[in-house]
Amino acid sequence: MNVSIVPALKVLRPAAMLVIVVLVGLVLGYWANATFVPGDSPEQPIAFSHKIHAGDNEIPCLYCHTQARRSPSAGVPAVSKCVGCHLEVATEKPQIRLLMGYWENREPIPWIKVHDVPDFVHFTHKRHVLANIECQTCHGPVETMDRIRVTSRAVDGSAQAGQPWKMGLCLSCHRENEVENGTDCWTCHK
Amino acid sequence: MPNIDRREFLKLVGAGGVSVGAGFMLRESTKHPREYLIPHVVAPEDISSGLSTWYNSVCSMCPAGCGISVRTREGRAKKIEGNLSHPVSQGRLCALGQAGLQALYNPDRLTAPMRRNGEGTFEEITWEQGLKQVGDRLDLLRAAGRGNRVALLTTGVRGHLAQLFESFMRQLGSPRLLHYDYDHPHTLYAANQQFFGEDRLPYYDLQNTRLLLSFGADYLSNWISPVHHSLGFGESRQGPADVRGRFVQIEPRMSISGAAADEWIPARPGTEGILALGLAHHIIAEGNYSGADRDAWMAALADYTADAVAEQTGVPATTITRLADSFVDTAPSLAIGGGSAGNHSNGVDTLVAVNALNYLVGNIGQEGGLVFNPEPAGPALQQHQASYSTMLELAEAAHHGEIDVLIINGTNPVFTLPPTAEFESALAQIPLVVSLSSFLDETTALADVILPSHTYLESWGDDFPEPGVGFSVGAVSQPVVSPLYNTRGTGDIILDLARRMGSSSVMPWQSMEEFLKYGWQRIYQRGDSQTLAQGFDAFWTSVLKAGAWGETKSGNTAFSLNPDVIAGIGVAPPEFSGSEDDYPFILHPYLSPNFHDGRGANLPWMQELPDPMTSIMYGSWVEMNPLTAQQMELSEGDLVDIQSPHGQLRVPVFIYPAIMPNVIAIPIGQGHGEYGRYAKDRGVNPIQILSPQLEPVTGSLASSATRVNVSATGKRVKLVKTGGTSRDLGRNIIQTTGGSGVEVSSVSSNSIPITEVTS
Repeated sequence: MNVSIVPALKVLRPAAMLVIVVLVGLVLGYWANATFVPGDSPEQPIAFSHKIHAGDNEIPCLYCHTQARRSPSAGVPAVSKCVGCHLEVATEKPQIRLLMGYWENREPIPWIKVHDVPDFVHFTHKRHVLANIECQTCHGPVETMDRIRVTSRAVDGSAQAGQPWKMGLCLSCHRENEVENGTDCWTCHK
Repeated sequence: MPNIDRREFLKLVGAGGVSVGAGFMLRESTKHPREYLIPHVVAPEDISSGLSTWYNSVCSMCPAGCGISVRTREGRAKKIEGNLSHPVSQGRLCALGQAGLQALYNPDRLTAPMRRNGEGTFEEITWEQGLKQVGDRLDLLRAAGRGNRVALLTTGVRGHLAQLFESFMRQLGSPRLLHYDYDHPHTLYAANQQFFGEDRLPYYDLQNTRLLLSFGADYLSNWISPVHHSLGFGESRQGPADVRGRFVQIEPRMSISGAAADEWIPARPGTEGILALGLAHHIIAEGNYSGADRDAWMAALADYTADAVAEQTGVPATTITRLADSFVDTAPSLAIGGGSAGNHSNGVDTLVAVNALNYLVGNIGQEGGLVFNPEPAGPALQQHQASYSTMLELAEAAHHGEIDVLIINGTNPVFTLPPTAEFESALAQIPLVVSLSSFLDETTALADVILPSHTYLESWGDDFPEPGVGFSVGAVSQPVVSPLYNTRGTGDIILDLARRMGSSSVMPWQSMEEFLKYGWQRIYQRGDSQTLAQGFDAFWTSVLKAGAWGETKSGNTAFSLNPDVIAGIGVAPPEFSGSEDDYPFILHPYLSPNFHDGRGANLPWMQELPDPMTSIMYGSWVEMNPLTAQQMELSEGDLVDIQSPHGQLRVPVFIYPAIMPNVIAIPIGQGHGEYGRYAKDRGVNPIQILSPQLEPVTGSLASSATRVNVSATGKRVKLVKTGGTSRDLGRNIIQTTGGSGVEVSSVSSNSIPITEVTS
């Protein structure tokens, strides 16, 4: 008896097509998201550039993030702080106009959080700032970034862009600098 | 190229599209969820992100007036603690006070003014609309000389808000300003007036006493100032057994204070005063009182021999004489009375008898005894709250059409008055009922206009605790957060209404804050030269910062008894509503430690907090002696109908060994028909079946004087509770040691063993 697989293939072809299309679609969607919607460097409501402020104009970090030296959180400057300069500076640029829009409507700017540690970690900026640790040690070369991006400090001390903070990275630095109680669980998890 | 027909092509396009989306979302789901950093538009000076700011203020969850410290972050209240520098709370706070946050953040808060429309439902209005409607009516009535047709019914408030209410009503020419709280100790005030000639509460120095006899006062959970009493109790309990204070609790149902006492003595309900006089008789008869008026006392107390009193109270004569002897021998000692003992038809006489006991052993004006408070430093106010009869008069006036406007602030009489008062139908007769409540409680639900107040954490006020702590204390209640909703402070609403009825020349203040500062000027003037040199602003700032103001000026220490009082001493047997045959049980309604008089029932923390004595949460129950339950063949969870001459409730049984067999107890606080999602339709309200039995001197409700019968329904429910069995089951959990020389009282028919009953 002559058996042919052709009829079977004919039947299977639409299903195979479907599988191929779905796989290609999945990869395409995943790639599109990863490329155009970066999670570690989201597009902010105003294209604020740390490069212009902290880099080109050398404004100290603590000038805007005033809370860092006395509070667990570094704090985002109030809209009034931005306006304080930009009533005079670069008033015609489209992004500054955007800023003035928020100001005139008395609305806060909904900045998207980039640097974060989980809620079970008790991290405090105050301790680190008072220990004279450069902001860049943890946040990377912020003064070169047009758009802020997740950065952490690798075990070898270099900044690793796109990598969030992990416990091992905190510990490596604490060990290196022989921080008092720096490896005690309760120092950070309390 | 394979042949694809149109249908096949569309299928593939569809599947491709969906899978691109799925791939996109797959990547998205691996990302850290997006969070925002919302900055201030203009940074407030007192807020540092990530840092706590503490404010001192005053708790308003019950009338005790504890000082509180509230932790706020980024302008939101996060935690309430007791204020360390406030003499009443001294850094401590009860569960209800801690749950004040849930009053602030309660999802059922009234968020804007409302008016009842033609269809009988509430619709939102603006403040201008609401205030205009009420203000115009008040102005009209006042102009027509009919201001006395306005009544203001408020929860018990003190300090400058009370003064504001008084001036407001004076401007209207109305005497109908009523402060009403269910648990106000009317009989205690009357007894102190009769015996001491002081219409104030004295300070009970629990901290320094070595023997406390409490006649029905649950001083650790609800009576007057529980946080302060708990501090005193804790202090007194320090030290070894022969040094520390002993506590004896006399009550028909063991309360938290009873459980904490060294000895719990059940006397027949309403005979607590007779027992006190039995003790007094024994003290005099034994020659332990040597005052000049000894003979007068002996004559007045002739009938109260230990045997006669034992007969009436059910407490063995040996216990009476032993208590009397140790009350004399232990110094300092203190007797307090209140709670259910004061809520009988003989309430005032009972509490006078307790005062007499203190007098005979010289506890008055003594450290560790009873110390008189000085005049409060705040505005001089009429202390009396409206009694049950006064509320009846108000309801009657409303039924006769004599009330045109009723303004209600913070009190909920529809819930806390028995239906026999007919308060609900009285409200229907009043053309304009205005509620200033923060919540839609049972009374507010019947209002015509709701002008919602801030919660206490958002508003200005002050408080001069009553009773004080033996010296003058005051505290300013300041907002700790900015208002969450479109509500206003009670004082601000009243001032606004006063302006609208043309009283701004007499009440010129623009806000409660301004009025408070004006009032505190007078307290500032009392200060020493150093305070005065600083100026008022510095004084004000320091009062707000400290959260308390006080001066070490004590009250009246010399006390001489009016001899006429002695002849009048005597306690009649209590009268009960309902015959013993038809209604064999005495209903003992008690204030829930969680909900107070029901005001805490809308706080989920209080709902889920197990009752300290039974471990039950979320519902109501009736406590019944094991012996009674056995006779009626009832067990835990059996639903029973409790019937009084005036109503009926259905509630599950909880077997409670520490209650007299002929008494059943139901906690007050649950059984709301309104008051938000957490309170509504949960449990029963025993006030609803109380008989209108009065205490004749004060006209207050004798709320412990209702008889009931109990009938099984055959249905049962499972009680929600954390406790398993209350038996030891050989686990040796409860270990006992020998007593400190205390004679073990012999078992009488009223003594209830806590272990298993097998009869």
